[in-house]
Amino acid sequence: MTDAAAQALPGQQPAYPALRSAISHSVLMAVSFVMLYPILWMLAGSLRPADDLFGGNTSLIPSQVTIEAYKDGWFGLQISFGKFFVNSLIIATLATIGNVLAASLAAFAFTRLKFRGRAIWFALMLGTLMLPYHVTLIPQYVLFLKLGWVNTWLPLIVPKYFAVDAFFIFLMVQFFRGIPRELDEAAMMDGCSPWRIYTRIMLPLSLPVLATAAIFSFIWTWEDFFGPLIYISDTGLYTVQLALRSFIDSSGSTNWNALFAMSVLSLIPIFLIFLFFQRLLIEGIATTGMKR
Amino acid sequence: MTMETATNGWEEGRRPPSRFAEGLRRNLPGYLFLSPWLIGFFCLTLGPALGSLYLSFTDYDLLSAPRFAGVSNYVHMATADPNFGAAMKVTFLYVALSVPLKLAFALAVAMMLNRGMRGLPVYRAIFYLPSLLGASVAIAVLWRQLFAADGLVNDLLWVFGIEGPSWISNPNYSLYTLVILSVWQFGSPMIIFLAGLRQIPADMYEAASIDGASKRRQFVKITLPLLTPVIFFNLVIQTIDAFKAFTPAFIVSGGSGGPINSTLFYTLYLYQEAFGYFRMGYASALAWVLVAIIAGFTALSFLSTKYWVHYDD
Amino acid sequence: MTTARIDRRQLLAGGMGLALASGLAPMARAAGTPIRMVWWGNEERARRTTEAIRGFEAAQDDAVAVATEYMGWDDYWTRLATQVAGGNAPDLIQMDYRYLFEYVGRGTLLPLDEYLGNALDIEDFGKENLASCSVDGKLYGANVGVNSFGMLLDRAAWEEAGIEAPEIGTSWETFAERCAAFKEATPRRRFYATADTSGQGNSFELWLRQRGKELYTEAGELAYDADDAGEWFDYWAKLRAAGGCVPADVQAQFKNSLETAPITLGTAATDFAFSNQFTGYQAVNKASLDMTALPVLPDGAPGHYLKPSQMFVVSSASKAPEAAVRLAHYLVRDPAGALILGLDRGVPASPAIREALLPELDEAQKKSVAYISAIGDLAGPLPPSPPKGAGEAYAIMLKISQEVAFGMIDPAEGGRKLVTESAASLTR
Repeated sequence: MTDAAAQALPGQQPAYPALRSAISHSVLMAVSFVMLYPILWMLAGSLRPADDLFGGNTSLIPSQVTIEAYKDGWFGLQISFGKFFVNSLIIATLATIGNVLAASLAAFAFTRLKFRGRAIWFALMLGTLMLPYHVTLIPQYVLFLKLGWVNTWLPLIVPKYFAVDAFFIFLMVQFFRGIPRELDEAAMMDGCSPWRIYTRIMLPLSLPVLATAAIFSFIWTWEDFFGPLIYISDTGLYTVQLALRSFIDSSGSTNWNALFAMSVLSLIPIFLIFLFFQRLLIEGIATTGMKR
Repeated sequence: MTMETATNGWEEGRRPPSRFAEGLRRNLPGYLFLSPWLIGFFCLTLGPALGSLYLSFTDYDLLSAPRFAGVSNYVHMATADPNFGAAMKVTFLYVALSVPLKLAFALAVAMMLNRGMRGLPVYRAIFYLPSLLGASVAIAVLWRQLFAADGLVNDLLWVFGIEGPSWISNPNYSLYTLVILSVWQFGSPMIIFLAGLRQIPADMYEAASIDGASKRRQFVKITLPLLTPVIFFNLVIQTIDAFKAFTPAFIVSGGSGGPINSTLFYTLYLYQEAFGYFRMGYASALAWVLVAIIAGFTALSFLSTKYWVHYDD
Repeated sequence: MTTARIDRRQLLAGGMGLALASGLAPMARAAGTPIRMVWWGNEERARRTTEAIRGFEAAQDDAVAVATEYMGWDDYWTRLATQVAGGNAPDLIQMDYRYLFEYVGRGTLLPLDEYLGNALDIEDFGKENLASCSVDGKLYGANVGVNSFGMLLDRAAWEEAGIEAPEIGTSWETFAERCAAFKEATPRRRFYATADTSGQGNSFELWLRQRGKELYTEAGELAYDADDAGEWFDYWAKLRAAGGCVPADVQAQFKNSLETAPITLGTAATDFAFSNQFTGYQAVNKASLDMTALPVLPDGAPGHYLKPSQMFVVSSASKAPEAAVRLAHYLVRDPAGALILGLDRGVPASPAIREALLPELDEAQKKSVAYISAIGDLAGPLPPSPPKGAGEAYAIMLKISQEVAFGMIDPAEGGRKLVTESAASLTR
């Protein structure tokens, strides 16, 4: 914080920004602690003995440190957790690609192309967001069973290539509408095809929203456990989330330490993904700013 | 968002060879771009949705074949189900509290993080962490550690000489702990706000600075209007999500919606009926009533856009 | 260095490709009659069960290939219902006592009587035991563990307070007096003699049975009235007011799981659970626990009965029911399988298996076996089978007990409400 203050001082402005920056930093750091507490607590939980976990223990410092839980957890399910990480990585990557591609195509159609029935399709698209998934579960299961996709990853991946998650379409529609029309109208005058305008103008200009969609898409697929729960039965095909759930048995005993340990590990890949894509999100602005 | 029907196609000013070919030429690009979604809609989404609509008019216990029951499920809901009213009340309260709070918080933090300050990527990442925890079962344990009678919150209150109740298991407060959970996981709307702020071209601010506009004025005249499409998006999505909220209550209340129905979210109730008590027909009817409610709210939001949402096109 | 990196990348890509291929194509099954088995439970149970299944596969003359699926209790029922509803029911299913009636009532399970004595040689389980896995006189399940409800005790906490802990035969009245005295005597802050079990249908059932009543009649109607329920709520309301049991908001933290129980959270010295959960409770509790029966009427029987903690049942849609039954037999009665499962699913029903297991048990397991033996001598007859909709009645009971506990309604009104709402749930 003193760094920031020292840097701000030599400028033409008075000491006021330094104070402001200090205040901002203190606010942000205070909020940060509230945000970080659960992760720290989980970390502590993964390191303390099982009988020390409950009984109103809010301290972040374990009375006794043991890394048994990590060993227990990693090899706990007969197949090592490494396998589940690879599985989740593959599924989330493929799902992210599909989501971003398919949703951006649909969003381009909704924002830049005119065709009969557009408003109706748009309303229907939004409508698909509203139905709770519990009631479509069984018809959907029957459908995938008939296709022979049960106990494969296909039900978790293929739908994303058909943009079934309307969230992403709607998200991109809102951002595409913020991109000035003059740009593609000019390109259209030059005889560019819609495909060229989509690939050469829209996509490069919407890097922030594409990065946002990629972040959500990856993280949500990674975290999804209901889909894998219903469709995956072979332990070898388990995702990380499904494997984590295997530690929990509320009717009997749950290996909480191992659960916490593996939960901590499971956060690492998505955290890295977040860090990676947020760079794109930030760089995106430079591009948009300059092209205008 | 008003979407006028197509009167002019992509390329304008050429003679159509025939009406059909003309129609094709006008509509084809749009439908081609839309085709992945259309295939998904017709092959994957529509069937199961219509299936559940049909089931809402049946008695269906999951394990034996559905029996047609007319509108009896809807009648039961309206006349004889005390839990339906309880679930409605809880859900509306949750929506009314969590959506504005979460959005305000997310926007405020996004504005803070959008300034040129040191260490911003670190803060952004930290603020997103709770959202990464998502539906993790660890949340259930954590929330108890925080809001139970002997939890951290009461430990803090104890310092000020206050002996707090068990927030999480007292029917008067339990819903608010879930509202806090929702606000605490403000990462997604924050990121969307950030992306929106990033998309505002820097030269607009530069121009305003040259004109001598104050920061506050820049915010009101540039940032806010240009951000309205994103605010609108977050509002619609968060409202839909809050109406459909399931996981927080499921995890924190152990699936019971208790104590005394105080966290009986609508979809949690629907899930209990479907899978706990084998009444999938009734659950489907509940689901479609929820769709009607959400659709109503969403339609109202869209109707309101012409008064406050600013689009560039 | 560079080549090494490329090699590693290629290796990684190759590995990913392989994983991808296996994830995208339907699995090829091993040779033999394929059957699927599902259960709920933790990773320890999975380890034991798959080991036993390996043994089963190896021991068969005609090849059987068993695919296994397992998950936690909460997820299990959603998934099982989806599979059964979707026409993809597993062959061998681990079943809970309550859900047995739901699934049998809808014709999804296979009666096993024709296999009894041959493929399923479990007659030494005893008549009572077989009856506890039957519905309407037909046998549907092979018992994997004998179970009974009971009371968990943190004896050290009782001793610390200098109050005599309850035991088999302690009357409700004495129990209440001791609990109230406990509050005065214990040195711990926010600590009570007992959890509040007024919302647990299992405790209420024993209370009723001690009075010669039941939860349900043979015809599937309520077998108690508003006065019975009111009296029950009143007992706990008085105990609560006297500081004898945990306050309403502490009890409301209990989410039907071990780690949310007052005894685990360190707020009570006594709690209520099934005997097959005993070892699980011991694992998350620092204090050494004991198990005993619920309080009784003066000189009355405790009303307990033995029921299956879980059983193996066969889907009526199974294409290889015989193989599934043989697997069930192997797991519950064949020493080769049953000894591997051990006490993980509860105390084995077969005396021979129980005998063989005894030497290997740890302290907590010995206690749960001892409890079952003690209860076995006092156990009453099986109650009539719970009707469809009984599952919801448990939830209603919990809700109304909380309304009483939080002081929103008085005990008598709670009793009336319980009868009205439970009866309504049974007729839907």
